[in-house]
Amino acid sequence: MSEDLSHTSRTGQTSLTDQAPKSATRINDELLSSLRPPTLRWYLLAFFLGAVVAWGMAAFTWQLTHGMYVTGKNRPVMWGFYITGFVFWVGLSHSGTMVSSILRLSQANWRRPILRAAEAMTVFCITVAGLFPLIHLGRNWIFFYMIPYPNQRGLWPNFRSPLLWDMTAITAYIIGSSLFLYLGLLPDLAVARDRSSGWRQKVYAVLAMGWRGTAREWSVYHKASTLMAALIIPVAVSVHSIVAWDFAVTVVPGWHSTIFPPYFVIGAILSGVAAVITLMIIIRKAFHLEEYLTPLHFDNMGKLLLVISLLWSYAYFVEVQTVWYAHEPIEWEVFSFMSGRYTTQLLIMLLGNSALPIAAMCFKRLRRSIGVMLVVSLLVNVGMFIERFLIIVPSLSHKNMPFAWGSYSPSWVEISVNLAALAGFALLFTIFAKFFPIVAISDVRELEARRTGVPLGRVRVPSVAGEE
Amino acid sequence: MDTLGIFRDIDSAAAAVDGLVRAGFAEAQITSLTSVPYPDGVLVRSEQRTRFRWLALAGGLAGAAAGFVLAAGTAWLYPVQTGDKPIIALYPTAIVCFEIAMLFAIIGTMAGMFLEMRLPALKKRAYDPAIAEGFIGICLTIHRGGEAVECRPGEERQDCIGEIVSLSAVEQKERAEEIMLAAGAMRVIGEETP
Repeated sequence: MSEDLSHTSRTGQTSLTDQAPKSATRINDELLSSLRPPTLRWYLLAFFLGAVVAWGMAAFTWQLTHGMYVTGKNRPVMWGFYITGFVFWVGLSHSGTMVSSILRLSQANWRRPILRAAEAMTVFCITVAGLFPLIHLGRNWIFFYMIPYPNQRGLWPNFRSPLLWDMTAITAYIIGSSLFLYLGLLPDLAVARDRSSGWRQKVYAVLAMGWRGTAREWSVYHKASTLMAALIIPVAVSVHSIVAWDFAVTVVPGWHSTIFPPYFVIGAILSGVAAVITLMIIIRKAFHLEEYLTPLHFDNMGKLLLVISLLWSYAYFVEVQTVWYAHEPIEWEVFSFMSGRYTTQLLIMLLGNSALPIAAMCFKRLRRSIGVMLVVSLLVNVGMFIERFLIIVPSLSHKNMPFAWGSYSPSWVEISVNLAALAGFALLFTIFAKFFPIVAISDVRELEARRTGVPLGRVRVPSVAGEE
Repeated sequence: MDTLGIFRDIDSAAAAVDGLVRAGFAEAQITSLTSVPYPDGVLVRSEQRTRFRWLALAGGLAGAAAGFVLAAGTAWLYPVQTGDKPIIALYPTAIVCFEIAMLFAIIGTMAGMFLEMRLPALKKRAYDPAIAEGFIGICLTIHRGGEAVECRPGEERQDCIGEIVSLSAVEQKERAEEIMLAAGAMRVIGEETP
């Protein structure tokens, strides 16, 4: 291969597309290395995360036994950190499956090492998100009143309430995303089954369902994957649109806006893409997957982040300039209160969601820098959590009746539960990565198997044989 | 009865398939076992039509009906009058219908996929863990002598019955093993002749 056709990175590593194809055994060895018995460091990490989760559960138990007064919620701000956490985690969940589906449908070959982490992230994020409305309820022991089944109480959930739309949509999304994750895992479970022993082999054998990789199985599998990807995208969009409708169908100033559903969806994709980048960096470092998660992948994800950040900035600008130009008193009051009381948070949000990603992601060198990508992706999600908070709290603080204006500060209970949610997500992901292949082996190997050298002029360039 | 040949590379596996077809086995009797997918025709042809999309569609329609019953039907059964608002509201009903329709369509897709793959496998089938390491398996389903080989939709009977089925199952198996070993099979795994 000529010098100008090879894409050696600045760190001296070459991407998969530059090297001679690796053997199947070597790829299996490298990608299944994450399934080796846990080390002491893994146990320490799991223990630490488990301890934070336990602390959050203790805080929740405190709330359960003492009542909702232990939170910072009070009239007029009845939605606080819990609903902020709910919207944030739903948003994070949004992008994993969606990025995976879009890249699958567009047949972007660089997607292959990223898919699994993105899909697993979705499942765990939406699981965590689904807990927040239950925690927020109060009198949590009768949460089952929300489940529609014939009962002696003569009560029935009111489907005219957006909160029931939420419950329906989140249930659909949790099941759909879990099936999508399992679908992608199926061939890899067979590989894990063939390379393991003992109880692990039994578990993988059950989960692999007798997959052999016949031509027929692969053919049906590919068609089903494509259909699933096409089906899951509208569900993902609908979930966050419905979360936006929780706000937009009310007549609360600052919420009652037609731009909310697309604005929420864009924000969700922005935070989700950033979270996928963060996870890629952590997985790459933890499992030594530098040859699979290359600067090329970060470059492409950085471009995606740039586009979504521009879209988010546009949507935010449209929202604010409409309020500013119309100067409708109560709408302007909410915005003034938000920008005055929460100036620092507002600036961090604008920096993290707009200024920094747009400025940094314009440059290829920065997109390919792992350190820069880590900082940017983390700041995007810090900004996104603040954005959710600034949507919820200022509008409730200064609603239509000035005599009932108030403010809100989260209590230690709410902060603890939110930290436990973060730790719970990390713990679920850590356990998943230890027991299931975190990089899609079959997808990576498929690309290797299909890659052939094709003569073009005076050089041989890599080509991918496909049937599409 | 299945006979499975394990090949180190794709070329020898393809040569074995060609040899089996030339010997009179029908292509419908042969399948490949691989740990990565290859484009159709590289080893064998599996261009059978799939029907799981119909199950996905049926799931979607059933889900829409279930969603309608859940949102509209139960609102009618448990009426809550709120101002002059309708008991059965279009907007929430449409949302619940959509979500449950999509959920059932997704479940239908998965169920249909497994049905078409004939998974989970209830009985043990010819397999070799070496396939996970990149080796190629060529699996031949041997039918009892004189028995018709399954036809693909639209195929004429004479096209899908291999000439070799006039031999006994044992002779077919021996012939297949010879062909696979000659093509470069590392080993041939065969089920016991019934």
